[in-house]
Parts: sequence; structure tokens; C-alpha cells
Amino acid sequence: MARTKLYTGIYVALFVIATMQVAVEQIGLLESSYMLALGLITVFSLVKAVVVAGYFQHLVWEPRSVTYVMLLGFVGFLALTVAASYSIL
Amino acid sequence: MIPDSTAASVLQSGLVPQGTRVQVFSEIYWVFLGLGTLVGAVVIGYMLYNAYKYSYQGGVDEEERPKLGEVPTGGGKGKKLFLSLGLSAIIVISLIAWTYGTLLFVEGQTGEQGVDVQVEGYQFGWNFYYLDDGGDDYTGVNTTNELRVPVDTQINLQVTSDDVFHNFGIPQLKVKTDAIPGETTETWFEASDTGNYTAHCYELCGQGHSYMDAEVIVMEEDEFQDWYDSQNASTNNESAANVAAAGV
Amino acid sequence: MTDDNQPRTDGGTATALPGDSHDDDHLPPRWSLKRWLVTTNHKDVGLLYLATAMFFLVFGGVLALLIRAQMWSPRAPGTGVLSAMAYNQAVSLHGLIMVFWFISPFATGFANYIVPLQIGAEDLAFPRLNALSYWLYLASGILVFASFFQGSSFAGGWTLYAPLNIPAFMPSIGATTTVFAIVVFCASITVGGVNFLTTIHRMRAPGLTMRSLPLFTWSWLLTAWMMLLAFAALLAAVMILLSDRMLGTTYFAATTAGGSVLWTHLFWFFGHPEVYIVFFPALGAMAEIFQTFSGNRIVGRKWFIVSMVLVALQSFIVWMHHMFLTSINLEVKTLFMATTIGISLPFDLMVFALIYTLIKGRIRWDTPMLYAFGALVLFIVGGITGVFLGAVVLDYEFRGTYWVVAHFHYVMVSGVTGLIAGLFYWFPKMTGKTYDEFLGKLSFAVYFTGFNLLYFPLFLAWGTPRRVFAYRPEYVGWHRLASVGAVILGIAFLLIIYNLAKSIVAGDDAAANPWPYSTTAEWAVASPPPIENFPGKPSYVSGSLEFLDDDATAAAAADGGTAATDGGHAALESGHGDDVHVDHASYWPVTIGLFTLVTALGLSGLQVGSYPSGLEGLFYQGASVLGVVGLLGSITAMGYENFTAHEGGLGEAWPFEGVENTKMGMWVFLASDVVLFGAFIGAAIFLRVAYGWTQWHPIPHNPIPGLVNTYLLLTSSFTVILALVAAQKRSRKGVVASLTLTFLLGLGFLANKAIEWVVLFSEGTGLDSSVRASTYYLTTGLHMGHVIAGLLVTAYLIWRAWNGAYTDGNDETLEYFGLYWHFVDIVWLFLFPLFYIV
Repeated sequence: MARTKLYTGIYVALFVIATMQVAVEQIGLLESSYMLALGLITVFSLVKAVVVAGYFQHLVWEPRSVTYVMLLGFVGFLALTVAASYSIL
Repeated sequence: MIPDSTAASVLQSGLVPQGTRVQVFSEIYWVFLGLGTLVGAVVIGYMLYNAYKYSYQGGVDEEERPKLGEVPTGGGKGKKLFLSLGLSAIIVISLIAWTYGTLLFVEGQTGEQGVDVQVEGYQFGWNFYYLDDGGDDYTGVNTTNELRVPVDTQINLQVTSDDVFHNFGIPQLKVKTDAIPGETTETWFEASDTGNYTAHCYELCGQGHSYMDAEVIVMEEDEFQDWYDSQNASTNNESAANVAAAGV
Repeated sequence: MTDDNQPRTDGGTATALPGDSHDDDHLPPRWSLKRWLVTTNHKDVGLLYLATAMFFLVFGGVLALLIRAQMWSPRAPGTGVLSAMAYNQAVSLHGLIMVFWFISPFATGFANYIVPLQIGAEDLAFPRLNALSYWLYLASGILVFASFFQGSSFAGGWTLYAPLNIPAFMPSIGATTTVFAIVVFCASITVGGVNFLTTIHRMRAPGLTMRSLPLFTWSWLLTAWMMLLAFAALLAAVMILLSDRMLGTTYFAATTAGGSVLWTHLFWFFGHPEVYIVFFPALGAMAEIFQTFSGNRIVGRKWFIVSMVLVALQSFIVWMHHMFLTSINLEVKTLFMATTIGISLPFDLMVFALIYTLIKGRIRWDTPMLYAFGALVLFIVGGITGVFLGAVVLDYEFRGTYWVVAHFHYVMVSGVTGLIAGLFYWFPKMTGKTYDEFLGKLSFAVYFTGFNLLYFPLFLAWGTPRRVFAYRPEYVGWHRLASVGAVILGIAFLLIIYNLAKSIVAGDDAAANPWPYSTTAEWAVASPPPIENFPGKPSYVSGSLEFLDDDATAAAAADGGTAATDGGHAALESGHGDDVHVDHASYWPVTIGLFTLVTALGLSGLQVGSYPSGLEGLFYQGASVLGVVGLLGSITAMGYENFTAHEGGLGEAWPFEGVENTKMGMWVFLASDVVLFGAFIGAAIFLRVAYGWTQWHPIPHNPIPGLVNTYLLLTSSFTVILALVAAQKRSRKGVVASLTLTFLLGLGFLANKAIEWVVLFSEGTGLDSSVRASTYYLTTGLHMGHVIAGLLVTAYLIWRAWNGAYTDGNDETLEYFGLYWHFVDIVWLFLFPLFYIV
């Protein structure tokens, strides 16, 4: 399977991003610039999630409708979390 | 959000019901009830008219009727459909938009003047703590299951709960808000007549929910002041006595 | 989930498997009890749903009559038919039973029976899962029933508001059982939702595009989507509540900032879509009946469907209109007021579409039409009184009063009325018998009178607070009228049940199509339909329904072009073929249902971390152990059972062409799991916001052990991929080795987590130490539960792979398990930063 190389490359990339995510905390960015650090950490998580879903779960090779189903669930989560949290601010 | 200036001009236009909560409620309620009844009567009447008119009575059928096994499709009359939708949308949206002005008025009214009271629900009763003018500090005057307030004065309530989720409401004065543990909700009311009213709990809170009432006594301004001063004095005496008892 | 894949993909080709037998495709006869225990046929399961739901209608109805008896007079303390606690149980369980155990399953019964017929499918995509959702539903119903005998059932209203719902205020074991029953019910709904979505999307007859789906099927399709996502949120809410009750977390404790409001968010995020989940199937049934009995096609069909889709989407963004008096801010109130108006408009369109369908009709007033017409009238009243509640200033005063009670009964019970219409409409189809028309019409007259006598006076007595039995004397007249109406409505239900029971026994035989102008496919087959539903392959390719033999179907499908992507699966297609038989019987769904019941009953004894003492405790502990062992055993057995079902993708499958049935089922399930985890994470974020975001620090002192776990999970995801690659290379050793590595990595993850928890416990940080600790333990605990489930499946896969499975070209099971495992990985990618870093 020619994709083995691709999978391996992605695995290494995930490993590195996970490490960078913790590095953000270790260098003290959370203390010095909380929002920037929070943003970076969130973006790292999103990137990892998208890569795992896209390649390990092969969403990129499935009909787009499957991706939309998952996005539907994700949008539901966002709606609940954001609106509920905003309501008490 | 509507900008404040626009809101203010709408509020001043006289179009938006304002006044005590009893007044705004009844004004809006009767408009809704009138229009609602009218719309309901027209729509249901129209349904019944068609139901009668097109009832099967035999005779020659000139229409092309659906057949078993056909791919489902729709009939015509799309224009009529959207006309009705448009009409109902206009009624509903304008009604709600109209009451939105009152909502802004009601919400903008809290805590600016009048008497401030903290209401605390517990299983199964109500504590009332009278606050100072700013509504920040407890004055030492408190009552249980009996809220005394002056007439024609805005009463600002800060409502919370000591245990479970309650809801404090005085139906005749059209005021109501949730009493949530750990949270404070704010609302207000103004009584136009002296007399006795009853507050209920409107959220199921356990065994005694049905009887979780408080008496609301609306008094003349000076009577209220007398009562309040006497309470205040006794509270002060009590605390003085406590201080004395502690041997300080 | 994954266990179910195996037999399906093996079907027809993997003849070497042990236990492979096609003998049981003949079910025991209908008069045999055994048939009803083992059946997986959609029509049988539909009837089981309908019968059970009717039982719960009577149960909930008796509770309603008790409420109305208590409301006969304003009761002084200690007087009346019921004690205060009995009354609170009656109002709570009346609501819960009617909403969860009557209306939704009643609609599910019709959907089971009718939807496959309407779309031209011979059964649902996953027949055994269909039976399983029924047995889980029954198990949950028995739990509710049992809860009355465990001290006290739940007594805090059907909305289960916090913090009255926690043991500090409601300590009875029965209350825990009620909550557990809802958990099991959610599981039933999720399993059913996955099944229906796969079926409706992928198993339609050629030519039956989404646009031309019958309206009842459309309404059920959207209901299933809403169920899938909304019930996942409810599942999260009740799981958190169970954790508070059983394990002692403190999400909803009175002292937790935001705890009570969190419950209202989670509950109503589910609760509002639930209104449409309840009403949509009735709306679909009404649309079918209006068309059939007026002899007209529905006006504006396309816009009717668009409206339903809009409502289904919008239903997820209106929930805070149930919370206008909580501490939410004015901006959010304004937003939700606007969305609430928005959702009323598509309904206006649908109501007008139904009314205009009557015009130029030849309306026949048979019983189904009477009920459907009545339902629309009642719905209009319910809708108009709902607009009052959309005006926030009016809502402020109506909240918690009988206005709300009257309004939602007009809406919900108009839905029931629509379903009763469906019951009469489809009765001849389902039983092969004709009901008594006179009794049917009489029942409608009694029903409509009773309904309005019961619910309309409640508008007039709206000053009465909800759920009290002491009210102002001026309302006595209205409440008595309502109580009289309740008795009359009860009589109407008895008349309906009597009519149908009598007709089943002694009714005339019904024709295949008793209704002129009906169009949908269920009327084109015998009443009741044969086990395989159709005399040939149904097809709409020619523009109307035809039954073709198999070869012609293949040609027609190829013409349609939609089945082309599924070419590879065509060989697996079964049903009318000579050498492949589909199965209809399995013991395992009912067995799993039974052990779920035992498990839930046993675990309900767990109160804040400990079982009761003595014999009682022994009973609960014994049941817990027996239940869990039985569950694991029966799920494994069901996974191993060889069971052949119909494959999809042979006709219309938009928009999931080429996504094999089981794969689509897995994805749909994962979408619901996204919402489940989403609600858990959302709850944690909400509580953190309420607490003060930056005052809240991670429970673990150091993110490094968490990082190690991230590495372990990422690597295990990679090894699952390698297992699939090895399977494709037909390397048995490779598959076993990769899976074993996955298993060990997962075990490492768990061990690392266990060490972390043991250290935290020894430092005195327990589940109840703080809400911070509660969210950390429970959310990562839920994830751990997913890891453990994944490892159990991995162990099973290793065993199967060792015996030669998956390397014979049938590696789908590995792929689908991988989807689950990667999902668990993805969840961790979010949990890790949230609970270890920021």
C-alpha cells in the first residue's frame, strides 16, 4: 500500500505538533500572554483533529456528505457551548 | 441589539406600552388575545368552510386524482401559500417586535430608584432582606414569608435561593423571576393599590411546593416608613443587646 | 457497534465461519411467544413498539387522572387523594412517561412498520439493532415501572431541574433508577436513529430520490436526525446527573456556580428539538392522510419539505426561550426571541399547505381524516397560544403557570391526535383487518370533546402555578371542568383500544388498498405485507412503482446511475437470490436488553459511591456483577453470530453513495458521540466560565504524563492503520501484531491514567473535592470508558484475526473499528489541552 509512507509522515507530524502544544506551556507563554497561548493551543488541537479525521479516518477520500455529518455534530457542540457560555457573561 | 438612542426614541413615541408591570402586561395581553382569537377564528373557520364545501358528495369528478404507486409530487397554489405565509409573518413579527420595546423598558427599569429587597427562597418559604438605597448592603431588616412594601413605589428585587431552584412570582402584580442557588436575578414591580397579595413558588421544588407562599402587604408610604423604622430599631436593639451580651 | 459489522460483511462469501446457517430465516409463527422474542423483522418490531407504547399511554394516563383527581379542589395540607410526594411523583412521571415512553416510541412503531415499505426496502439496514432498540426501550420502561417500588420514583418534574435532582434533595434509589431509565432510553434512541438514517438514506428503491420521498418518511428522516443529535445531548445531561447521584461528582450541587443553569442549558438544548421530535411524525402522518382523504396532492410539496428541514435545523437554536427568567443576559434573550419567531414561520407555511390541500378535494370523512383534521385544529390553537410565549414580556408572566401547561398539551397532544389518525389509517395494513368505522367516528367525537374540555379551561385558569394542588378558589370551576374532560378523554382512548382489539379478533379482512387516492408503496402490497414485503424489486425508475425481478432491477439501477459506485457490493445483495437468504431471528437483542435491565437495576443501588448495607446491598451488587458479565457475553455473542441482512446502495443512496451501510452507520453513530462529548466538554467550559475562566487551573500538576498519553494514543491510531494495511496485504501475522500493539498501547494509556488518579486520590483530590475536580474526572473518565470499550473490541479482533478473519478480502470490520478508535484519539486531542494545560 503506497499510503503507508503518507500515514507514517502524518504520524510523525502529529507527534511533533503534540510536543509543540506542551512546549507552549513549558516556555511560560500561558503566564506571559494567556490569550495568545490559548489560541495557539486550540489551533494545534484543531489541526491535529483535522489531520486524523482527514487521513487516518480517510474523510478526504469519502463523499463530502460524511464530513458534513460530522460537522453537524461539531456545530451542535459549538452552538451549545458558545451560546450557553455567552449567556452568563 | 438596537442602539440605545433608537431604543429611547421608540420608548418615548408612546407606541410602546409602559407603566407598571400590571399595565404593560394587560395592554399587551389583550392585544395578543384579540388578534390571536381573530386569526384563530379566521383560519379555523376557513378550514371548516373548505371541509364542508369539498366534502365528497358523489357526482362527476373533473380533477386528475393521485394514483397508487405514482412518484409523490405536489399540487399547485404556491402563490397563495406564500401570500398566507407573508401575511402571518407580518402579524407575528410586528407583534413580537412591538413587545420588544416593552421588554427594553422593563429591563431598563431595574434598580434605578425605589426600595431594594433581596429575596431568598428556601424549602419551603421566602426570606426578605431589605437593602440600603443603592441596593448593595443589607440593612439588618428582614422578614420571612411576608414582604411589606410601600404603594406607588418601584420595588427592586434581587432574587436568589438557599437550596434548590425556585421561582418567585406575585401573580396580581405581574412580577416573576427564577430563584436559583448561587445566582441572583433582578426584577421589579410597582403596586398601585394598597392591600394584601400572595407570592407563590412557580418551580417544582419538593414536598412543600404547593404551599410555598408569601404574603405581600402593600402599605401607604408613611405606614411603611413607620413599620420599617420600628423594625430597624428592634434590629439595632438586638445587635446592641448582642454586643452587650458578648461583654464588649 | 463494531461487533455488528462482522456477520454482515461475511454474509454470502465467508462460508467457512462456524455457525454459518441459513436455517433460521423462517420465523416461528405469530401465535408463538418465541417469535416475538427473537424477531428482527421491521414489521414485527413496529407492532411491538406500538403495543408497548399503548401500554405506557395507559400508564401515563392513569397518572394524569390521579393529577386531575387531586386538582378537583384546592387541597389543604395533608388532604386530597395523593400525598404531596405522591403528587410530585405523579406529575413528574406523567410527563416523563408520556414524552419518552409513549409518544416517541408510538411514532417509532409506525416508522418501523411503514418507512421501509414506503421507500421500497425489505427491512431496515440493521435488523438486529432494530430489535435491540426495542428491547432497550422495553428495559428502560420496566426500569421506570420499578422505580416506584424503590422508595420513591423521581419527584422533581419531567424537566428534572437541578439541584433538586441530586441525592442531597432527592435521596431515594427510585429516583436514580428513573434517571438510569432515561439513559437506557437514550441508548435505544441512538441505536434506532443510526439504523433509520442508514436505511432511509441508503436503501431507497431506484428512482425514489430524496425529493420524491413520501412525506411521512421525510418527517421521520428529519425526526431521526434530530433524535440522533438531541438525545446525545440529553444522554450527556443524564449521565452527568447519574454521576452526581452515583459517584458523587458535584456538577449540579447547589454550591456549584452555574450548576443549576448548566442543567437548564443541557436539558433544553435537548428539550426543544424534542418538541418537534414528538410532533414531526404526526405531521407526516397528517400530510399523508390529508392527501389520501381529500384526493389531492399536497400544495407546495417542495416548500413543505423545505419548511421541515428548516424547523429541524432551527430547533437547535431556540432552547433558551425556556430560560427567559433565569440569569441569562438581555442580548441572548433578544437573540433567542428572534430565533423563536423564526421557527414559527415554517410552521405557518406547513399549516396553510395542509389547509389548501383540501381545496377542490373529494374529502371523505373516515376516522383517520377526522382525527387528522382535528389534530390540525388543535395544533393551530397550540401554535397561536405559543406566540404569546414568544413575546418575552408575556413569557415573564406565563412562565411556570397553567398557560404553559395548556399550550404544550395543545401542541403535544395534537401530535398524539395526528398519530391516532395514523393508527386508524394504517391499522388495516398492519393487521389485515378492518376497524369498526362507527366506533371510530364515535371515539373521535368523544376524543375531541374530552380534549377541549380538558385543556381549554386550563387557559382560563392560567393563573394557577404548575405542579401545585393548592390554588386560588376562583379557579375551582375551570379545574373541575378539566378533570371531567380528562375522564372523557380517557374514555375515548378506551374506545379506541376496544375498537382496535375487537377488530383484530373479529374484524373483516382488509383489502390491500382500502383507501382510494392513496399513493405510497405500502398500499401496493398485501395487508399485512409478506415477510419480504414486495413481490419483486420495487422501482420508481419508470415514473411509477413497479415490482421487477432481480435482473431487471440491476439493469434499472445501472440506468439510474446511482448504484454504479456500489458495484462491488452487488454480489452481497440478497433477498430474492437463490443462494443467499436473509435472517430474521436472533436471540441476542432480547438477551442484551435483559442484561441491560439487570445492570441498570443493580447500579441504581449505588448512592454517592456506596451500596446500601445488608441484604439490599447484596442484591444490588449481585445484579450489577451479573448484569455486566451477561452484557459483555451477549454483546460478544451477537458480534459473533452470523446474520445476513439486506445491503443498501442498490437504488437511491444520496448523499451516501459508495459509503457502505455499516460504515455509514458507524459515521452517524460517531456524529452522535461528537455531541455527547461536546456536551460534556461544553459543560466543563460553561462551569469554568461561571467560576471565572482564569481562576481555574488544571487538576494534574504537570502536563507531561498527559503528553505521554497523547503519544501513546497517537501511536495506537497509527498501529490500527498498520493493521488495515497488513490486512490488505493479506498478512495474518501483520494484522495480529499491529492489533496487539494497539492493545498494549491502549493498556499503557490506561495504566498511566490509573497512576495519575491514584496519586491524585492519595493527595486528597476526589471526585467531590471541587467542581474543577468533578469535570476533570468525569470528562476524562468518559473518554477512558471509550478506550476500555475499544480495547475490549480490539481483544475480540485479535482473536478473530488469529483465526484467519480479515485477511480474506473482508477487512471492513478493521476499517470501521479504526474509525471509532481514531475518534477516541481525536477526543483526547481536545481533552488533553483543556484538562492538562490551559
